[in-house]
Amino acid sequence: MGMATANSGGSEGMELCIFDLRRGQQEGQELDKILFFFPADLPFSTQLSVIGLSEGLITFTRIFSPEAACELIEAEKHSHVFYEAEPDIWMVMVVEKSKEAEAIWRIDALREVLKEIHSLFMMFYGPVREMLEKDPSGGLTRAHLYPFVMDYLSDFLVGKKTQLPSFRDCLKEFGTVQMLTVGREAAIEVQSLVRVLESGAGATHCYSLILFQDLLVSTTLSPDDTINLFAYAVQRLSPRALSSGGSSWSYLRRGSTPSHVVVGPTFATVSVSDQFHNMHATSPSQDNSYHVKRPLQHNRWSKGKDGFLVTDIWGTETGSLIPSTPTIWLQQTGERMYLCAYQYKSLTLILLVPLSSILNGEQGISLVKQQVLENASLKILKVEERLSKGWGGENAYHVSGYRYLLIDDDRNVSRASPPAKVTTLAKESLLAMSKLREEVDLEKSRSKWDNADRDKDLEICIRVKNNAWVIARTTRGKELYMVLERANETLLYASDAFEKFSDRYCGGAFSLD
Amino acid sequence: MKERNTTSTLRRILVNCAAQAKEYGGCVAAKVPEIERDMCLKEFLSLKTCMQNTCKHNLSSLNLRGEEFRSGMSAKASSSQLSVSSSGSGGLSHVYIQHPPLRCNVPGSRGLFYDDGNKLLLSPTSDQVLSWKAVPFDPHVAPTSDSISEGPVLSIRYSLDAKIIAIQRSSLEIQFFHRETGQNFCHKCKPESDSILGFFWTDCPQCDFVLVKTSGLDLLACDADSKSLHVVETKKLNVSWYVYTHESRLVLLASGMQCKTFNGFQLSSAGIVRLPKFEMVMAKSEANSKPVLEDEDVYIATIYGRIYCLQIDRVAMLLHSYRFYRDAVVQQGSLPIYSNKVAVSVVDNVLLIHQVGAKVIILYDIFADSRSPISAPLPLLLRGFPRSNTSSSRSNAKDIEIPEANTSDSETIIYGDDWTFLVPDLICDVSNKFLWKIHLDLEASLPCSIVSEAPSVLDFLQRRKLESSKAKQLCLAITRNVILERRPVSTIAKAIDVLLMSYSLSLKTGSYLKGTKTDKTSHSAGTQISILQSGASAPTGEVDAHGTSTKHQSSATVDNESMNRSGNFSTSDSEDNAQFNSLKAISIVNKEKLSGGAESSSSEVHPSSLQSQNLGPSNSPLNASVSERQESQLISPAISVDEMYSLVFAPVEEEMVGDPYYLVSIIVEFLRSASSEKIKVQPNIYVLTIQLLARNERYAELSLFIINKILEPSKEVAMQLLELGRQNSQIRKLGLDMLRQLSLHHDYVLLLVQDGYYLEALRYARKHKVVTVRPSLFLEAAVSSHDSQLLAAVLRFFSDFTPGFKNTTDCRAYCQILNEMNSAVAV
Repeated sequence: MGMATANSGGSEGMELCIFDLRRGQQEGQELDKILFFFPADLPFSTQLSVIGLSEGLITFTRIFSPEAACELIEAEKHSHVFYEAEPDIWMVMVVEKSKEAEAIWRIDALREVLKEIHSLFMMFYGPVREMLEKDPSGGLTRAHLYPFVMDYLSDFLVGKKTQLPSFRDCLKEFGTVQMLTVGREAAIEVQSLVRVLESGAGATHCYSLILFQDLLVSTTLSPDDTINLFAYAVQRLSPRALSSGGSSWSYLRRGSTPSHVVVGPTFATVSVSDQFHNMHATSPSQDNSYHVKRPLQHNRWSKGKDGFLVTDIWGTETGSLIPSTPTIWLQQTGERMYLCAYQYKSLTLILLVPLSSILNGEQGISLVKQQVLENASLKILKVEERLSKGWGGENAYHVSGYRYLLIDDDRNVSRASPPAKVTTLAKESLLAMSKLREEVDLEKSRSKWDNADRDKDLEICIRVKNNAWVIARTTRGKELYMVLERANETLLYASDAFEKFSDRYCGGAFSLD
Repeated sequence: MKERNTTSTLRRILVNCAAQAKEYGGCVAAKVPEIERDMCLKEFLSLKTCMQNTCKHNLSSLNLRGEEFRSGMSAKASSSQLSVSSSGSGGLSHVYIQHPPLRCNVPGSRGLFYDDGNKLLLSPTSDQVLSWKAVPFDPHVAPTSDSISEGPVLSIRYSLDAKIIAIQRSSLEIQFFHRETGQNFCHKCKPESDSILGFFWTDCPQCDFVLVKTSGLDLLACDADSKSLHVVETKKLNVSWYVYTHESRLVLLASGMQCKTFNGFQLSSAGIVRLPKFEMVMAKSEANSKPVLEDEDVYIATIYGRIYCLQIDRVAMLLHSYRFYRDAVVQQGSLPIYSNKVAVSVVDNVLLIHQVGAKVIILYDIFADSRSPISAPLPLLLRGFPRSNTSSSRSNAKDIEIPEANTSDSETIIYGDDWTFLVPDLICDVSNKFLWKIHLDLEASLPCSIVSEAPSVLDFLQRRKLESSKAKQLCLAITRNVILERRPVSTIAKAIDVLLMSYSLSLKTGSYLKGTKTDKTSHSAGTQISILQSGASAPTGEVDAHGTSTKHQSSATVDNESMNRSGNFSTSDSEDNAQFNSLKAISIVNKEKLSGGAESSSSEVHPSSLQSQNLGPSNSPLNASVSERQESQLISPAISVDEMYSLVFAPVEEEMVGDPYYLVSIIVEFLRSASSEKIKVQPNIYVLTIQLLARNERYAELSLFIINKILEPSKEVAMQLLELGRQNSQIRKLGLDMLRQLSLHHDYVLLLVQDGYYLEALRYARKHKVVTVRPSLFLEAAVSSHDSQLLAAVLRFFSDFTPGFKNTTDCRAYCQILNEMNSAVAV
């Protein structure tokens, strides 16, 4: 298979597996543990050896730390990143280290990828454990996981390579939401629109999410659900995702740089992604007993005449040609919701209606949609107009002279310099920042165990070889990372610049003294 | 939309009461040529009861709710609290007259005359004329008398300064009496030319007195010694009859075969405006018959400062309305009439159409776009009439409709044949020599579907000036009700828009402040008028208090100001004028407004009349004189933001069952409305919002609200967040951040210490020079942490940065503690 050659090259290899420790405990049934393995064409013996090592380490470390077992194995040439997605369901990613290939990873960023795969999977299909219980053979789960993860990974496909977040992505944060800054009046208008939207479906409790371009404007979902739905919306529903025409590098629109978008020969990309898709198309079809919906497939969403986004991923309702409305599963409430997405220019509105509240399926949904159009369209118009008037464009949040990343851990919100600006940084600076972030990650996880309810204040300034200043400061749940390449010699200058930024853009949160 | 709703109310009544209506109609039809009073009474009463029941259903539910609230209201509110429901319970009628009437029965009276320029009811006898003040209406007012000489009295009017009495003696002669000196002189017309139709006094600068003759208008001026009149100008016109009201300063002169061609003049203090000649519409009953328009069929009505002419078309059974502009007269649409005798009154800018034959009144609010009545037709009610059986006011209402039951007392006859309707809101019962004042029962006049039409009803109530505190209470009750009944948010949003728009307008015009000061409405208003009319130049304290007195230097600037403001809300123009003009004591249509044309007529003109919009910007509306209406300025039913909280949101929040999230939606709409009107919102509403969101555990939304400053930062808000922070550390952080951003350093430092961030607190304190936090607080905290390093650091901080700290007892005490701690460690 083409895939095999693409990945078995070795140097750019990445392995990803998902396994269930509760399965395959009998000798000879070890294969039963494996729920997913990438690349799929590795011999089972290799697959089992990866999983066996992981399982052994998990079992061993649990003796000392039953709550949080193994997180990471750093071998000489590989890093094994562990993530316990659900009790006893583990995801392990094995990445190769290589300085030349720029394969320098920040482990937390990789773990965030694993986390996102799992959260998104849950959003569409519910917990893996439940699925396993439904079908103890594991076939159902495997049939779902395989295309899903492959579809997900195809987002990271650049040219022939699966490009995971590396040190170059150190000034962005996975698993967070990027928000649009709006003025008070606009915010009130938005809130007013939210109420109208959510009241559209009668008395039942709806949720909504509003995006402008790729930025979140408003949400009524819990933080975790917001992150998931936001990630999905940005990747598949936003105007850019719809217009990008199914590129395999659509992941890049999440922020990597336009310069990254310099894609190699087009045919190569296409062919590789074709391989990906063909593979998905064929492998589930071999296993036709399960009807697997593939919500992460590209190019399956389009804008309908009424402004609502439609997709055929969820198939059509029996006996009609009307595509079924997608449903998602909310982590917070464990409830299944219909997902109705409406788009007007740059504004994307997502309305979630409980499945339980709509008795007559598609008919009921179309009624809800109609009500939304009736009640809210004027407000939508107004909000869109107001937001686009205040929208500063791609580089709205660029602060000249600074390359920064601001994270609010409490709210899972981050803001960073625009990717195009980050690429102007020297490799040294980025490497230093990546390293610095790893330090901070370590410090954070340490203090989490030491003293859960007290956040530590932390400040690190590093002078890099290329004379850039790399600064990190955390204070009570907020983190600010900064690269100052054209800063002056002295630390005083750098810290002044930092202070200025904090006062101006962070409400003085980072300037305590 | 509005129109359809209102008519649906009517339709509902008609559907519900179809049987009764049919019965009544059949009865009337059977007797048709001989129509008389009280025929088909039985059928009518059953129809009436049915109508009332249909309508009452809605109202009573509102009242009940209102009652419940009253108990929970703050003391401040209850003091000014009107009995919203109890006053409405005296029978179901939206319009009533209050017993006793002003009795003008004097022996030897030769009829009653109403002088609308001075608001006097005049009753001449053989040698004197008695006058009663009709405004303010006081049934016990004592008449004043002036002696006049013997002779026929066709018409009588006092001059505007009340010094001269003019009496029309014949169609050729008018006699003038000086009230002080008793001197008199005559003004006679040439007998061959024409006859006098009437006369009136005017405050127009060119002349003092206008004589309307069949050949036109004579404008006359008094001589310096007021001993004689001389003609200043004559306007030659053929006049069949005329209509004049002092309120509008407008005289309409009818001419032509059918008397439907009109010339109009407005003789205001700003000068004389000649209106373009216009024709009124009259339907023909048959091809050849041409009905003649009579003077009793034409009314001039002043509504919201705009001048309308209402014309009864008996053939079409329509009441046509025309609005006057400086250079155009625009027909505004027609209202149906249901009786062949119709009279028009205006109470508090509400148009009352008395269907005299049917004995019911239909109310219209001309301001609204709708041409449909505000409420169902209901009879005129006599209130407070003493009778033996006073147990139930409901039965009273019925009794009134049955004069036979009280034939002994002719006072109770409603719509007697001798009733004369005086402009704007008085009824003169000529045969009994009574003067009644028409009152509007706001509560009863609200449409049945009060809740579903809340925005328009509130709009209507907000424009009420006479009983504004009652209107206000009603508005509050309605608002609470729509929220409690969980009406669609969009409806409530509109309702809130109406309330806040009215509030912001009242802030601009200053009437809100007035409203809070003056408690009595018409009474105090009346006294002010009398002051102004007597020519007192000093403005009353009330007016002064609002700084309007500073604005009367030049009328031009004032007018310009008012025009600029009028853009927002179309009533404001007249409102503003009224205020300023009141200082000038007498002021009418101001020149600036008429000629300036800066004001776009489209905002003023009735939207449905495209015609008038096409007239261009020069087409400024003709406004009425305002000194009469200035009582309307004294108080406003506007509800302040604070009251919205204390009288709407707070009680509703207590009352509300179920999901409090709905109330959050309402508050969001409220904030939206307030921000678009640029009204500042008190933190208590924000605090309430925070509590509601927290109750739903919608912390993510709450933080969004805070971060986007939808809930503006303030100390109260921050404290509430900190309070909630006990459950949610993230919210606590938001509160802390808010304190820091508000530069409430002292509180911020204290809270940092509380959270155990001692060193951060110290650093912050040093940076922001917070000296109010006692060192001992930090020291105690440090001791309790059992960390000697920390204690040492804190001690060191204070001894380094606080001068004189080393000499305090604190220092010594804690140094000792530190030593003990260290030695304990050493051991």
